[in-house]
Amino acid sequence: MKRTYLTALMVAALANGALAAGTLVYGSGGEPVSLESGNITDGNSIIVQRQIYDTLVDFKDGTTDLIPGLALSWTANKDATVWTFKLRRNVKFHDGTPFNADAVIFNVNRWWDPKDPTGYRDQGRNWEIWGQLMGGYKGEKSSILKSVTKVDDYTVRFTLNSGFTVFPDVIGAGYFGIASPTAVKKAGARYGTPGVAAVGTGPFIFESWKTGDRINLKPNKSYWGTKSKLDQVVFRFIKEPSARLNELRAGTIDFTSELNPDDLKTVRSDKNLVAVKKPSFNVGFLSLNVSNKYLKDVKVRQAISMAINKKEIVEAFWGELGQSNASFLPPVMNWANSKKVPADYKYDPAAAKKLLAEAGYPNGFELDLWYMPVSRPYFPTPKPIAEAIAAELSSIGIKANLKTKDWAQYLEDRNKAPGFDMYMIGWNGDYGDPDNFYSAYYGPNASDDSNYQPKELNDLLAKARAAVGKSAKAPLYAQIHEITYNAAVRIPVVHSFPLAAARSYVKGWVPSPLGSEAFNTITLDGKK
Amino acid sequence: MSAYIFKRLLRMVTVVIGISLVVFGFVRMIPGDPAVVILGERGSPEQVAALREKLGLNKPVFLNFQEPSELFDTQYFRFAGQVLRGDLGEGIQSRIPVTDQLRNRFPATLELSFWALTFAVLVGLPAGIIAALNRNRPLDNLAMTISLIGVSMPVFWLGMLLAYFFSVVLGWLPPSGQLSTGLSIEPITGLYILDGLLRGRLDVAWDAFKHVILPAVALGTIPMAIIARITRSSMLEVLGQDYVRTARAKGLARNRVVVKHALRNAMLPVITIIGLQAGVLLGGAVLTETIFSWPGLGSYIYQGIFERDYPVIQGGVIFAAVIVSLVNLLVDLSYAILDPRVHYS
Repeated sequence: MKRTYLTALMVAALANGALAAGTLVYGSGGEPVSLESGNITDGNSIIVQRQIYDTLVDFKDGTTDLIPGLALSWTANKDATVWTFKLRRNVKFHDGTPFNADAVIFNVNRWWDPKDPTGYRDQGRNWEIWGQLMGGYKGEKSSILKSVTKVDDYTVRFTLNSGFTVFPDVIGAGYFGIASPTAVKKAGARYGTPGVAAVGTGPFIFESWKTGDRINLKPNKSYWGTKSKLDQVVFRFIKEPSARLNELRAGTIDFTSELNPDDLKTVRSDKNLVAVKKPSFNVGFLSLNVSNKYLKDVKVRQAISMAINKKEIVEAFWGELGQSNASFLPPVMNWANSKKVPADYKYDPAAAKKLLAEAGYPNGFELDLWYMPVSRPYFPTPKPIAEAIAAELSSIGIKANLKTKDWAQYLEDRNKAPGFDMYMIGWNGDYGDPDNFYSAYYGPNASDDSNYQPKELNDLLAKARAAVGKSAKAPLYAQIHEITYNAAVRIPVVHSFPLAAARSYVKGWVPSPLGSEAFNTITLDGKK
Repeated sequence: MSAYIFKRLLRMVTVVIGISLVVFGFVRMIPGDPAVVILGERGSPEQVAALREKLGLNKPVFLNFQEPSELFDTQYFRFAGQVLRGDLGEGIQSRIPVTDQLRNRFPATLELSFWALTFAVLVGLPAGIIAALNRNRPLDNLAMTISLIGVSMPVFWLGMLLAYFFSVVLGWLPPSGQLSTGLSIEPITGLYILDGLLRGRLDVAWDAFKHVILPAVALGTIPMAIIARITRSSMLEVLGQDYVRTARAKGLARNRVVVKHALRNAMLPVITIIGLQAGVLLGGAVLTETIFSWPGLGSYIYQGIFERDYPVIQGGVIFAAVIVSLVNLLVDLSYAILDPRVHYS
């Protein structure tokens, strides 16, 4: 007995020694829904998947610029309807399955083809994000993809129904990690759940998933890219931002994301921590419903926009973790903004009051202002922000009644006629193209929450989608920018920089604006 | 006795079926279903409707009056059919079988509940007894004030305070989780402390114990306060009884009277309360588990409710109902052992 105890202690000591050499612990905001690529959209799933899988196209550290991933190169025909991807050779999945054109087509068919037996749609798989970003599924008129074919073992050709110049950006989005066909077939509809390994070609290999608690990964020693120097990566699921901060300060996790903006001071005052401002790739905005009897008048909407001091609100609630501009697009995409639109909204309560009077409401009116009950990356603290907006509006005579609902109900009711008068919502981008932002709220498949759908915008969006290169896209998006700015239906309030933080010994972490990055370049420099 | 148990179990089945119907109806009455949550900001009405269809959420809930030939082709009867086969379905989006999740998570809840209750009894019971013996003196007031604070302090607030103070400021205890990241153990029972001891991994047992302290104190505070109050009033009642006075008059020492005569009789209502509390705790402590990232039933059901994951909510609630019913049955049976006046026949 005594001997076993001693051995146990020795093992523990050894284990602890190994720990100091390099176990990296990430405090994740929650548990992944699934590790099956193409079937989820939540950040907690994507950040883990990003370590296990590679995508065809990758992004340069900290930017949305394309670099080779599992595809070494890609070319398109003139009208961007045929895309040919040359694949990387000598890459193996973690289970030894060779990566090739067949593997790519296998994955794409699961996402795209409703009849594909390995898509397990009959068992509740929905591949929702594919339909969202790629227009629809095989056999549907709206599907952007027409066919995917193997040219040879290392060449795949995608033929599209219409020109889609950002196809590589979309197929490279973190949702579309390439999974091992062998592993998928073996696990069937159970693939990606805690008891079953997820198998990709990525820098880390899935080890274990203890539900409700953590996921362990180990480095892929034969990774084609930068091999990680760590011994292990652990994702711990810690729902509360305040709890994540406590863990970080106690040193039980090494780095984390999505802290409250208010925590910046605390992080900075702790000499063991480094605050990390993630690049902004979102927009938080106020959405006005044009079917409301007051808001149908553009003058009223412009008055509302002018009455809200967005700069000050951002300053008050985000400090340096937010930026306000007069665009729906985050600063990364400034190239697509119009020169005719001011860089910032005009804040002019007097002019706003005059506009209201011109619209026939010199004494203002009353409406509801809805704010979400949950913290989102673009509105971490919705209620006080809503209060500030309401206070601004009352200065021009508009009485805004603050209202909220459970998140699921909120999302549903905004689209149910008559919808909300005025509500707070936002968008986190998937890929670095203005279409991803504009189409989400102004496109043909957008929400019905504002009842604002001019055909002119739809046509411009379709044109911009098919335009090749920034120089062709920029003028089209500039027009879209002008129209939406003048309409004042969706009033951008903020582009936030989500607050992340790390212990000072965490080196080489470059957060991606797209929301997830591989941890293979991270090293631990003197972790105790 | 066995006839009684059989009757009780039969009643339990009825209760569970009733609860399954209620939960099933209620979760579907809440606006905002899984399709909405899955799509989040992305969901246009058309997309939500399409996803609903994919998820089978557009079938009638209880009875299909549209198609009398398929009267029972409804969400409820599909579910009931599954349950009879011991299958509670899968998480709507994660596709993880609910039974697997319950099996994986229940040990964590059991462990936390056990320590929370241990804390509640070890502190609440003596506090109640001391208060009763020192009725209306400073000690009594002190004990009752503490229990009042305990009852009125919101558990999430207390949890955050504890985590901040003991782990961030003092660095004595881990702020959340069940086990340090450097440690792992092949489970036997799934109870980390016990498994650590069984496998001779004292380091694991000690580490797991350190992790359970704060959540157990946070979770055990309200039951502790309740136990203290019930113990006090029950003790006072017994101490005023004739037989206690007689025992004292016979010249028995006070302590002996308290321990031998009063305590045993005063314990009956306290046992009931402890049992009820155990049932409540075993159903999963939503807030405490969420704050302390404790991988138990509570955080699982909470997540399920938030995501409108019907199978998770149904399965979790039905499981909790079974557990609570069983614990209540055990409490009633222990009554018969403790109180000779009670007979189940």
